[in-house]
Amino acid sequence: MNNELQLLSDYVRKETSHSGEIDADEDLLASGILDSFNIVSLALFAQEQFGVEFEAEELVRENLAKLSNLVALIRRKRAEGASRS
Amino acid sequence: MPASIPRYLTETAQAMPDKVAIVSSARSITFGELYNEALATAECLRGLGIAPGDRVGVCMEKSIDQVLGLLGILFANGVVVPILPRLKQPNVEHIVQNSGMSAMITDAERLGEVAGFADVTRLITGHGEISNDWPNLPYLRRFTQPRPFFDRICNDDAAIIYSSGSTGRPKGILIAHRNLAEGADIVSEYLGTREDDRIACVISFNFDYGMNQIWQTIRKGCTLYLHELALPNDLFAMMSKERITALPVMPVIITKMFDRRLKVSTSAFDFSAMRYVCSTGGRLSAEMIADLRGAFPTARVFSMFGLTEAFRSTYLDPDKLDTHPTSVGKAIPDCQVMVLDEHGEECAPNVVGELVHRGATVNKGYWRDPGNTAKVFRTHPRFPGETLVFSGDKVYRDDEGYLYFVARADDMIKTKGFRVSPTEVESEVVRHPDIIDAVAFAVMNIAVGEDVACAYTTVSGKPLPETVLRQFLKTSLPNHMVPAILVHFDSFPITGNAGKLDRSAIKQAAFERLGITAEAGATSAPVARS
Repeated sequence: MNNELQLLSDYVRKETSHSGEIDADEDLLASGILDSFNIVSLALFAQEQFGVEFEAEELVRENLAKLSNLVALIRRKRAEGASRS
Repeated sequence: MPASIPRYLTETAQAMPDKVAIVSSARSITFGELYNEALATAECLRGLGIAPGDRVGVCMEKSIDQVLGLLGILFANGVVVPILPRLKQPNVEHIVQNSGMSAMITDAERLGEVAGFADVTRLITGHGEISNDWPNLPYLRRFTQPRPFFDRICNDDAAIIYSSGSTGRPKGILIAHRNLAEGADIVSEYLGTREDDRIACVISFNFDYGMNQIWQTIRKGCTLYLHELALPNDLFAMMSKERITALPVMPVIITKMFDRRLKVSTSAFDFSAMRYVCSTGGRLSAEMIADLRGAFPTARVFSMFGLTEAFRSTYLDPDKLDTHPTSVGKAIPDCQVMVLDEHGEECAPNVVGELVHRGATVNKGYWRDPGNTAKVFRTHPRFPGETLVFSGDKVYRDDEGYLYFVARADDMIKTKGFRVSPTEVESEVVRHPDIIDAVAFAVMNIAVGEDVACAYTTVSGKPLPETVLRQFLKTSLPNHMVPAILVHFDSFPITGNAGKLDRSAIKQAAFERLGITAEAGATSAPVARS
């Protein structure tokens, strides 16, 4: 398990009191682990934790509801940031 | 024509069978198909042993199959009982037993909440794949010939909707077929809902407000677009793509839609088809109104107000939103709202009295609770033989007849669109081993209606770290019930004789500690008393 995924799933577990494992490819809104309030908290946590800033059009369910997609977005944003600097 | 939703759907399906009725991300359905599949669902339910008058639970995610479940129960002469999401087990158990539920329609997403009740009520899946465990409606429908056998009259029971009561146990409101049908007619009349409307449905079908969107759609032959709001960009993209014309919301939804932290720019979308936004479940702040108008300049903004016991009571004419921003407006069509003093006489303008509602939306009473029904559903000498709703809520009317809400009768906390019982919060807080007593109350927060606040005392005399206490509460309370504000007291004041907690003194002390005035804490608006 990679580091981003571990941190994100720890955050989800802490925020929601979900005790089981979290499948990186599970839609956490569909399964009811996340609701419309804490999916926003998750996005803000990810920005803060990984030092990236998501654009408005990136803050969509497609990118945030599955942790695997969120990790991919974080990595993409970091790569963009690195190539700019 | 007697009024009921099954009759309305029968008419609309005949008049426009090929018109699209409902669209979800998964599929869409025409009025003709909706009618046939609802009848097939009813036939399946009958085959599964559902008899006329039986209460049938619906515990499902928002979907076309959920709508078919609701309609199927109505067409089967049954009574719909929605199971609200994320209720604690004792509350679900209370609803199952209190309603005397013969069966419950559920789906994979919400099965976990109700699977434990399989030996008390019959579980049926209304969505998804077949399994060996439960009968599956989408599968059974394929082998079922639709055949109409709906025979209820308009006064018969159509639904029981449970909401939290002050005692902590949910109370069921019994709703007649004509209440649902007239709700569709009345609301579509004052909102001006019409056949070419495309309504974005972000609200839940577990409450009367959400269900009314289905009923209006069926009545007017317009189209309903189902959407589960999580991130505002997804909603805005759908609204723009589908050229949505109508958006029913609640204050908490507006707050989510325009969450500043998400940097949403609504100018990137085309909302030029928008005709109206309507909101109920709390007052609109100036900022919310500005956000709605900024995003949807072509839309009229309706602020509405209702009681659980009578669905909807008032709405404010959109043209009066600027001149009367704190008013709940005037009575909806076909209903009368009175402001009565303790002698049952109409109050003069600017004098506070009780809101009493008469007319078409008055529901039948509390299910299996004649005591509470007799307290609220009463007669008035001016209208012999007629049942009115005596809300207990305090309101007044200004010189032009506009109504203003002053205070609720109960101490329920209205947060994020939910009614939360302070008792229910307190009983979970005191389960923490270090906590002695707890008093929960509302603190005004216009973004979500009210925040749940809780004052508590500890054995150790020290405050608990907030994150620790919240973590503890999250294991047993749904998120919306976990107090946003926690206040530790060394000890609580008690009332003189009985040693009972002095709740109002505790609240006042907590307000002082939080640095808010009593007015900001209470739900009341400043009132000119004559």
